[in-house]
Amino acid sequence: MSGIDDEDRPFHGAGYEDTGFDDTGIGGVGAGGAGVNGVAHVDFHGSAVPDDVDLSRVWVNVAAHVWHTEPGWLELLARRLLRSPGLARALVTTPSLLLGWVLASAVVLITGVAVTQATGMPCFALLAPAVAAVGIAYAYGPGVDPAWELSCSLAVSDRMVLLVRASAVFGLNAAVGLIASAVVVQAKGLTFGWLVPMTAVSCLALAAATVTRSANVGSAIGLFCWGFTVLAGEAAGGGFGTAATDPVFFLPYLAVAVLSCAVVLYTTRIPKTGRPWTQGI
Amino acid sequence: MDSGNMTQPERMQQSPIQHSPTKQNPMKHGPAQRDPMDGAMTNLQLSDLTRRFGRAEAVAGVSLEAGPGVFGLLGPNGAGKTTLLRMMATVIPPSSGDMRLLNRDPGSFGQRREIRRRLGYLPQNLGFYPGFTVVEFVEYFALLKDMPPSRVPTAVARAVERVGLGDKAKAKLRTLSGGMLRRVGIAQAIVNDPELLLLDEPTAGLDPEQRVAFRTLLREVGERASVVISTHLVEDVGAACTEVALMDRGRIVFRGSPAELIARGEGHGTGDAPLERGYSAVLTAARS
Repeated sequence: MSGIDDEDRPFHGAGYEDTGFDDTGIGGVGAGGAGVNGVAHVDFHGSAVPDDVDLSRVWVNVAAHVWHTEPGWLELLARRLLRSPGLARALVTTPSLLLGWVLASAVVLITGVAVTQATGMPCFALLAPAVAAVGIAYAYGPGVDPAWELSCSLAVSDRMVLLVRASAVFGLNAAVGLIASAVVVQAKGLTFGWLVPMTAVSCLALAAATVTRSANVGSAIGLFCWGFTVLAGEAAGGGFGTAATDPVFFLPYLAVAVLSCAVVLYTTRIPKTGRPWTQGI
Repeated sequence: MDSGNMTQPERMQQSPIQHSPTKQNPMKHGPAQRDPMDGAMTNLQLSDLTRRFGRAEAVAGVSLEAGPGVFGLLGPNGAGKTTLLRMMATVIPPSSGDMRLLNRDPGSFGQRREIRRRLGYLPQNLGFYPGFTVVEFVEYFALLKDMPPSRVPTAVARAVERVGLGDKAKAKLRTLSGGMLRRVGIAQAIVNDPELLLLDEPTAGLDPEQRVAFRTLLREVGERASVVISTHLVEDVGAACTEVALMDRGRIVFRGSPAELIARGEGHGTGDAPLERGYSAVLTAARS
């Protein structure tokens, strides 16, 4: 993934060979001789330090070992799948994928399933798109990322981070939804129907959040549009569940999803046309 | 900042491991272009660069070349310093003009990515993730800069130590003061040992002692990299910069050494310090 070869980027390699330190931790302290051998000559009661021992370098290697936290299995798996440690870290730090958010989403969807089973109302189908929309609006973007400006200058592009995070949130919600719909046996028509509106509402929320640079606005617009659609379905006489189940709506939903994705791609682009980037000096 | 941390940059400067231009491998590193006229390397080449926001022209035809060293950008509010820096950081594209960074074309996706791997950038207003610790924050950006993961822990530790935050390494960002947060921002900018370091108002919020340490750090980085620092504080320029440009209304109205800027102010201008007098004399002349 990385195009920086170890020997090509002398982050801290310069001079390390002199004392035998390595880059990965404190292993080199003993191996280099400067640490172990040097200690025998150190007068700990005075301030004498052997000439070949650079205490600042020793400390940096010790600090690197002490401060560093090894990535968890999820991040390691993401590194393998995405082939990018940066994207993997961005993914596991996605706000809407943190445990609190996941639990809250699960509670809402479980409640929807329970109400659906008890009353026959398609509450789960109506809630799933809303949960996904809020999650994706908060997953990433100028509105929720305080370091947005800085992220625009990084090697791993902000658009890739956006794509990975949005896909992960949507995928998680879809997985939870699929499990939940398997439980709602009396609503076979709803089992997969909610996926299409969920896609549309999520994309709309993401586009709104990106354009307005506000996760709150993105969530609000997604929820408002979904609420409006549900109420319109009810007013048309088809009941609340119509918005999530009637195949007539699926084509417009997909059109909304495609349009919203186009908006996101446009607003996160780096212009390549015109004079600016195209000519060298 | 405790005294132990304060001395870290000084120790680093005296250390035999400090980076020197001779350590670079121009062929593999793909860095600066060597100027055939004087043998100097050019990391930054801007030619007639402009940037418009609607009808307003924030940067109006700036041409600039810079090699390794610390380059100061001075100017009043709204002069275009931040916009110029954002273009150099590849955050926004120019409206017109040509730009080459580290001898690469930022208009090409692949080359832009290579530039960004070798770039350090501190925006004027850097947001922070309050739940991250200092180390987590710097590590996050090190990974997004495509640094090899095996080198990240040492690089992070070194960067955190260089800004004197070793004793706060595991502290949550929400618990830090404004000056400490600024130093965290500087740490993430230098963590990848950048060849081009862009700093927008880096000393805002730092106390005098921290600013002295920061200037030492700047000089050290400037030995091998091009450092562009935008600031209102002329004393930072006088102490750390080898070259300075003064911007006004989107244009560069002066370029030279701090000594030359001081000379412009002799017998002219207003201000308490020689550099301030030079600054105001040049601005007055440019506006008249």
